[in-house]
Amino acid sequence: MGATHSASEEVRELEGKTGFSSDQIEQLHRRFKHLSGDQPTIRNLRKGPSGLADEINFEDFLTIMSYFRPIDTTMDEERVQLCRKEKLRFLFHMYDSDSDGRITLEEYRNVVEELLSGNPHIEKESARSIADGAMMEAASVCVGRMEPDQVYEGITFDDFLKIWQGIDIETKMHVRFLNMETIALCH
Amino acid sequence: MDSAELAGKIVYTWLTLVLGFILLPSAFGLSLGISELYMKILVKTLEWATLRIEKGVSKESVLKSSASVGIIQRDESPMEKGLSGLRGRDFELSDVFYFSKKGLEAIVEDEVTQRFSSEELVSWNLLTRTNVNFQYISPKLTMVWVLGVIVRYCVLLPLRVTLAFIGISFLVIGTTLVGQLPESSLRNRLSELVHLTCCRICVRALSGTIHYHNKQYRPQKGGICVANHTSPIDVLILTTDGCYAMVGQVHGGLMGIIQRAMVKACPHVWFERSEMKDRHLVTKRLREHIADKKKLPILIFPEGTCINNTSVMMFKKGSFEIGGTIYPVAIKYNPQFGDAFWNSSKYNMVSYLLRMMTSWAIVCDVWYMPPVTREEGEDAVQFANRVKSAIAIQGGLTELPWDGGLKRAKVKDTFKEEQQKNYSKMIVGNGSLNSELD
Repeated sequence: MGATHSASEEVRELEGKTGFSSDQIEQLHRRFKHLSGDQPTIRNLRKGPSGLADEINFEDFLTIMSYFRPIDTTMDEERVQLCRKEKLRFLFHMYDSDSDGRITLEEYRNVVEELLSGNPHIEKESARSIADGAMMEAASVCVGRMEPDQVYEGITFDDFLKIWQGIDIETKMHVRFLNMETIALCH
Repeated sequence: MDSAELAGKIVYTWLTLVLGFILLPSAFGLSLGISELYMKILVKTLEWATLRIEKGVSKESVLKSSASVGIIQRDESPMEKGLSGLRGRDFELSDVFYFSKKGLEAIVEDEVTQRFSSEELVSWNLLTRTNVNFQYISPKLTMVWVLGVIVRYCVLLPLRVTLAFIGISFLVIGTTLVGQLPESSLRNRLSELVHLTCCRICVRALSGTIHYHNKQYRPQKGGICVANHTSPIDVLILTTDGCYAMVGQVHGGLMGIIQRAMVKACPHVWFERSEMKDRHLVTKRLREHIADKKKLPILIFPEGTCINNTSVMMFKKGSFEIGGTIYPVAIKYNPQFGDAFWNSSKYNMVSYLLRMMTSWAIVCDVWYMPPVTREEGEDAVQFANRVKSAIAIQGGLTELPWDGGLKRAKVKDTFKEEQQKNYSKMIVGNGSLNSELD
């Protein structure tokens, strides 16, 4: 009795935190168990530099999923902005591998190389120049005209937000989670 | 009468009944109609149960029928479409969105890993093991379930175990005896008889109901029979209707005993584990076998591993390089009566067999299909895919290009690299740089 009581407490907590319904949480929990081999955490994630966890538990799993939920447009403007910021922050962290709050040129280059590395025709130089070009563009958006010897440190989170201002990320960064209840009742 | 005598009498009566009602008819290929009656009662009971469950579902306690519908609706748009939009052809920060979305979709639900676990049923079939969320619906249903448990574990299970025991011992003893005879047509006929009788007994041991379709296309001597693979029981199902030469690895334990016994009566092709790795050796031995038109058709499962009977995965091209005539066979189990899929990472052979013997029944359809041969200009891979599609369509299964070996192995890096290649082709073209830099 006690066990089930606390389990549903947890589910409610997760529901509140992430916005998934209890059915969806149960389904995702089953998937999590499958991926983790019935362990409480998923291990053996790619070992990266400090800042990357090497294991995640179900709550982290669910939190990451919730970043991809569509923004509920019926919410007020402030909440919509908050959701957007959360999504962009997630993305920012994907680029900023050492979590120092700035995407430096080096980190940017790493991401571009990672995405393009499969193609044997592309040399490292091309990947670099692409990254450099993109970085320049970002600089011009964020800082405006720079002095010739001014060095651009890196993209901060605020700069990142500035780049994305006005651009609709909604259509790009969401996964359509189905509402389990409506399906079941159709039978 | 004291208890020992009583026990003796019971066992004696039991064995006589079994002999009379099951073994003798099996030997002659007859059926007394008992299993048909059982199936009819079973079907009626399950229908009733389904109706009761549907009636009993209230607004709050929803039926978790998430079987074939997943939790997400995947975005199937290809890379070009997904990345286009506000961008030019150069690299954009937003490109990462597309990849992270695709990645997340794959993490939540992919079409391959779900094939390595049992299919979820649309409506409960009164077995605890298929009830993902046990919900108390009504006392009547619970009573029927309890009755079902009693019938399955106390009546059916002992019967089935007895039959299985008798069947396997008869097989081992029979084939050893027949193996003593000199090589002659009498010996072949006897070995066929022993084979078929034992298979029929074993099928009754699982309460199997098998429908064979298109028997005119049954595999002939000197050919190769290929089928989709769901469990070791596939072999039993096919051999009940004809004799085949098996191909496979030498196992230890119970399987090993059966294998060694079978080889004595008629030539099968068993390989040592180390020999399996040498593809040329395997191909050579199989070619020799089918060249001899008097030898039985070879039975091969090209998927290489057990899949859960909802889809057909990549057929390995090895079997299709041997030449000769291929006889495709599609096998489809009805999951409502019992789940035949062997999840070898979860259950070992013995617990799997116990699960089989405590299900309601094993019901399946077998479709024999017209023989095919490799066409001019078709290579082994294309041929394999052609046969795979035919089997998938006939059996009503989905077709997946993925390798069944992914059950245990990781995806090869070449797949990841291909995605990267596609992306970089979009950005940079084939080696020429496309952007204007200050």
